[in-house]
Amino acid sequence: MSTRTESVDLVGDEAATNLARAALFAALVGAFAYVTFPNPVSPVSVTLQVLGVFLAGVYLGPAWGPAALLLYLAAGALGAPVFEGGSAGVGALLGESAGYLWSYPLAAGVVGAVVHRGTALRDPSAAGLGTLVAAMVLGTVVIYALGVAGLALVLSLGPVEAVAVGAVAFLPAEALKIAAAVGIVRSDAITAA
Amino acid sequence: MTLAYVPGDSLAHRLDPRTKLLVQIGFAAAAYAHATPRGLAALTALAGGCLWAADGDIADLWAYRVAFPVLFLAPLVAGATLGSPWFRAARAAETALASYRVLLLLVVAAAYVRSTPVRDSRAALQRTVPGRAGTFLGAGVALVFRFLPLLRRDLLTAREAVRARGGDRLPVRERIRLVAVAGTNRAFGRADRLGTALAARCFAWNPTLPRLSFEPADYPALALGVGLLAVAAAAVI
Repeated sequence: MSTRTESVDLVGDEAATNLARAALFAALVGAFAYVTFPNPVSPVSVTLQVLGVFLAGVYLGPAWGPAALLLYLAAGALGAPVFEGGSAGVGALLGESAGYLWSYPLAAGVVGAVVHRGTALRDPSAAGLGTLVAAMVLGTVVIYALGVAGLALVLSLGPVEAVAVGAVAFLPAEALKIAAAVGIVRSDAITAA
Repeated sequence: MTLAYVPGDSLAHRLDPRTKLLVQIGFAAAAYAHATPRGLAALTALAGGCLWAADGDIADLWAYRVAFPVLFLAPLVAGATLGSPWFRAARAAETALASYRVLLLLVVAAAYVRSTPVRDSRAALQRTVPGRAGTFLGAGVALVFRFLPLLRRDLLTAREAVRARGGDRLPVRERIRLVAVAGTNRAFGRADRLGTALAARCFAWNPTLPRLSFEPADYPALALGVGLLAVAAAAVI
């Protein structure tokens, strides 16, 4: 009988915790896809995925935030029901929602970089109101720019048509999410960060 | 109803996950390169075949219902113009073909999700992406599958608690904040306990994965995937 020995290359404590946080945040963004709120100014109801993207950037920073969102995309592509309405599969990453989904890691990176001013993490509740709002407005711009561009490319629409289909009904709700996210960060309610 | 793995013994269940991923990529490339009525007719037959090979049926597509309004609306918006002739059929037809192409991609993706267990998907990912990036993706994806139901329940509990305390009368922004705070705190709590547990159990960069191997049935499917990529490349060059 032959035996085989291999040395085990252990993951360090800090990396293990960061990986766990990234994975849990990816699952949280997926769980947010199931939470819908009525939208006071538009007939399309609000889901909280984009709020999850903002919070990933704020609490995990410009490196682990995008990593968490990449895990979200990979898990969705391989069948975890984490995309809008509990859908899954590679089709979502190549179809009409492709631009929005691929923009999430980038947006989390942008939000993280603005809030933390570089790669070293600092206490997000210490960031000023202006910084937080600017970070999330910038994140929203990234998401909708790529989302609308993706829509135009995938469905062969013109720019104005793509904005009409993919942004007009959804944009007002983003203000709500930015307001909620700023409230969360400034209230010190997140204990484990 | 959500789309999920259904245990079975169909042709697609027996294929290696890497083969199925290659077929999906080939299919997408072909669908983008040949968005003509003839090309899409051929791909419709192929997509139907994929779903049939995975023992799926048309009801599996219900999971994608949120995509339908956009796919249906896009041709109408593309065709509409301000002023005479008000509706350009040619533009609408072009976008309708593009919409239909997206629907076909969703059909093929549904066949993959139905026929592939999480363990196999993870192993395929980790064997395809080399090094620590592969381990990170593989372990992370497995954890997302594991924790998604728990976090969904956490959020549901938080919503019910808010409602029970008369939270329905609060402004929407405040309700979103309360639910998100509860969800994020639970996620961080679970992550920190999980991180400690992973370190305590010698979580390694080189874990033992389930064995994956290409069987005889994989070779025709691999050839199909490569063929689709070739068809797409031929149209581009």
